[in-house]
Amino acid sequence: MKTSHANALQSFAHDLQWLLALRLWVQMATVWFFVWGVAILALRIRGTQDSFWLTLGLFGIVPLVLVSAIRVRRLRPEFSKIRANYDRINACGGVIMSEEAADMEAWLAQLPEAVVPKFRWHSGRAMLLLSVSAIFAATTLLLPERLARFSAHRSLEIGQIVRQLQAEVKTLAQEKIVNDKKADDLQRQLSQLQKDAFGYDPDKTWEALDHIKQSDSDAAKEAAEEALTKTESLTKAETLAKAMQQAADAGMNEMTASQAAQDLASMLSAAKLEDGILNSQIPPELLAGLNGLNKEQMEKLLQALELNKNSLGMTVSNLANLKMIDPAMLAKLLNAGQGYNPGALADYLSTCTNGGDDLVLSWLDHPGKGGPGGGGPAADMTWNDGASEKDLKFQEHALPPSSHLDDAQLVGVSKAAPELSGNDVSAQHGALDHAVASGGSAHAQIILPEQRQAVQNFFKREN
Amino acid sequence: MPDTILKPEELQPAAELVRKTLEQLDRILLGRKELHRLVLIGVLSRGHVLLEGLPGLGKTALVKTIGQILKLDFKRIQFTPDLMPGDVLGTHILQETSSGKRELLFQPGPVFTNILLADEINRASPKTQSAMLETMQENCVTLLGTTRALPQPFFVLASQNPIELEGTYPLPEAQLDRFLFRVMFENVDADVLDQIISERRRGELPAPTWQMERDQLEMLFQTMGKIYLPHPVSRYIARLVSATHPGGAEATEPVNKYVSYGASPRAAIAIAEAARGNALVAGRPSVGFEDVKIVAQPVLNHRLILNYQARFDRMTPSKLVTELLGQLDETGLNLPKDVELAKA
Repeated sequence: MKTSHANALQSFAHDLQWLLALRLWVQMATVWFFVWGVAILALRIRGTQDSFWLTLGLFGIVPLVLVSAIRVRRLRPEFSKIRANYDRINACGGVIMSEEAADMEAWLAQLPEAVVPKFRWHSGRAMLLLSVSAIFAATTLLLPERLARFSAHRSLEIGQIVRQLQAEVKTLAQEKIVNDKKADDLQRQLSQLQKDAFGYDPDKTWEALDHIKQSDSDAAKEAAEEALTKTESLTKAETLAKAMQQAADAGMNEMTASQAAQDLASMLSAAKLEDGILNSQIPPELLAGLNGLNKEQMEKLLQALELNKNSLGMTVSNLANLKMIDPAMLAKLLNAGQGYNPGALADYLSTCTNGGDDLVLSWLDHPGKGGPGGGGPAADMTWNDGASEKDLKFQEHALPPSSHLDDAQLVGVSKAAPELSGNDVSAQHGALDHAVASGGSAHAQIILPEQRQAVQNFFKREN
Repeated sequence: MPDTILKPEELQPAAELVRKTLEQLDRILLGRKELHRLVLIGVLSRGHVLLEGLPGLGKTALVKTIGQILKLDFKRIQFTPDLMPGDVLGTHILQETSSGKRELLFQPGPVFTNILLADEINRASPKTQSAMLETMQENCVTLLGTTRALPQPFFVLASQNPIELEGTYPLPEAQLDRFLFRVMFENVDADVLDQIISERRRGELPAPTWQMERDQLEMLFQTMGKIYLPHPVSRYIARLVSATHPGGAEATEPVNKYVSYGASPRAAIAIAEAARGNALVAGRPSVGFEDVKIVAQPVLNHRLILNYQARFDRMTPSKLVTELLGQLDETGLNLPKDVELAKA
C-alpha cells in the first residue's frame, strides 16, 4: 500500500519529467520558429507566395512535442537521485533514501508531512526567445508581397552617374564632337539603363555605364588633341600675320612681303582648319587674296584667327569642366604659342632684304633662339661676358705635422696581450672608477661599512 | 547494504542516552550547545578532537566533564618543549624483583587512559608529537618491540592556543589528519557570561547529576554501527572530498586557485562516521545530507593545505569548505541552471 510520501515522490518525479520536457520543447520550438521564418523569407523572396504551403510549417512544432518527450524520457535522471532530492527537500534525514534498502514504514510516521516539492523554472529568457522567434516567423509569413520582393527588385542607385554622363553627351553634341544622332542614341541608352538597373544583377549596368563613359572620354580626348594642334597652327599664323602687319609699317620690301604671304597661305593650308571634328572657318575671300591684303583685310584676318582660337579654347575648357580631359591638356592649349614674339619677327622681316627664303617658317619653329641682332633665327644663344674666377678659388692651407707622432718612439711589436708592470694603472672615470686594471677587478663588490666586520671575520676564520 | 535498519524502539534507548549526556553537558558548561553536540559526535565516532581557542574558554573543563559523565578514566598532559616521548607513552625502569633478579619493567605513561587531554599540544617538540601518531591511529603503543593496547575507548582531546605562536611547533599534517574534528572555541555572549558569574563562583563546575555506565556507552557504540548510510549520501561525501582536490572533476574555482592538497580518504571516512554520529544525536536511523553538511566543516577545516595565494588573499579552509558546500549539488541531479527546486 502506498504511503503519502510514496505518492508525493511519484508526483515529484512526474513533475520533474514534465518540466524538463516542456523546457526542451520550448528550446526546440524556438529554434524551429527561427528556421521556419528564415525558410519562409527565402521562399517568398524566390517568388513562392502560396501562404497555404508556407503555413504548413507551423505543424512542425507538433512532432517536436513527441521528440522532446522521448528525449527527456531517455535522459531522465536516476530515480534514486530524484528520491534523494525529495528526501533532502522534505528534511527526511535519509529515511526516504533508505527505503531502497529496507522497509522504513515504522519510521514514516515520524517524518514531516509529505509535501511535493515544487520546481521553479526561471523561464523568462526562454519564453522571450520563443516569443521573438514566433513573431519573426509570423512576420515573415504576413509580410506584404511588395516588401518581400523589395530587396530582389530594388533599383540600383545610378542616378548621379547617369546625370553626369548625360551632361557629357550633351556637351559633346553641343561642341559638335559627336553628331546629333549618336548623341540621341547615347541619351536614350542612358535613360534605359537607369530604368532597368536593379540591385539583383548590377554587373551589366556597371559595364554599360563604363562603356559609355569610355566612349565619351575617347571622343573628348581626340577633340582636345585636335584643338591643340589647330590652336598651335592658328597661333603661328597669327604671329606671322601680326609680324607682317608691323613689318609693312616699318617698310618691309615687296619681295619679303610676298614670300611671307606665301608662307602664311601655306601655313593655313597645312593646318587644315576646315577638316576634322572641330572645323574652323577663315573667310574664303581673305584666304584667296593673302598675297595682296591691305591693312583692313589683314585686321579682319587677325580677328578671324583670334575668333577661331577662342572657339577652340572654349570647347576644350567645357570638356575640362566636365573632367572629360586631363587638366594638363587644357593648360597645354592655353600655353600654345606663348613663346612667339611678333615684334621680333617683324624686325626680322623688315631687315630681310633677300626676299624669299625659308627662314620665316624656321624662325617660327624655333622660338626663343637668336634673333635679328644675333645672327638670325637659327643662331644659338651666346653670352658676351665670360664668368670671372676671381675670388672664387679655395685657399690652400698646409696642415701642420703631428707633434705627438714626432715624439713617439717605436720600442717593439707585441705578439700577445700587453703585460702590466708593478705600477697598476687605474681607470679614471665611469663605472670602473678606482677598479684595479687586473684580472676580475670589474666584478669586485663594494663592501659597505656595516659589512666590513663580517667580511674581516670570514677571512680571519679561513686563516 | 545493512541486514536490518534500526527500528524506532531499538534506537530510542540510545537516543535517550545521548539526550541525557547532552543535557548534563549543557547544564554543567553554559552556552555551548552546538560545541557539546560536536564533541559528543566525536566521542560517538571514536575520533580524536582538536580544540582550538583562547585560554579560559573552558576547553579543559569540557574534557573533564565528558570524562565524568561517561565515567571514563581521564588524564591530562601539559605539553612543553622539553616533554619527551617517554613522558607520554611510558618507559622501562630497571627494577629488582622479589627473587632478587633485575629486569626492565614497563611503567605506563599517561597515554594509557580512556580520555587523554593533550593540553597545548603544539608546545611539544615534533619528536614528542610524533610519539602520539601510533596511539591515535592504532590505539596502541610499541616500545622496545612490544606492542601494548590502550584501554578502550581511547580518545585524545587536544587543545591549541592560536595566539601564542612563539616557541610552538605547528602540528604536522600527518598528525592533524588523525584528528576527527578541529573545533573552534568562540567567546560566549554577555548573557551567558552573566550566568557564569552568577552561578559559577570561583569557576567551580557542578557535579553531574547523571553518569553513563560502561555498558551503556558500549551500547551507544553498537547503535552507531547500525546507523544506515544511504548510497546517495555516501556518494555525496565522496564527491565532496574529491572536490577539495584542485583539478578534480567537481572542484570549484576557489579550490583550484587556493588549495595545494585536498582532503585524504581518511577525511571521507571521518565525515561518514561523524554524519552517523549526528544522525544518532538527532534520533534518526539513517544519515541525511544535512548530517554531512553539519560535520563537514570541522572535519575538513584542518585537512586542506592551502597555497601562498590563499595567504595573500586571506582565504581560509573554513571559507573554502563553506563555499564548496554551497556550490556542490548534494544529489548530483544536475538540474539545468534555470530550474530551481524549492519546498512548496
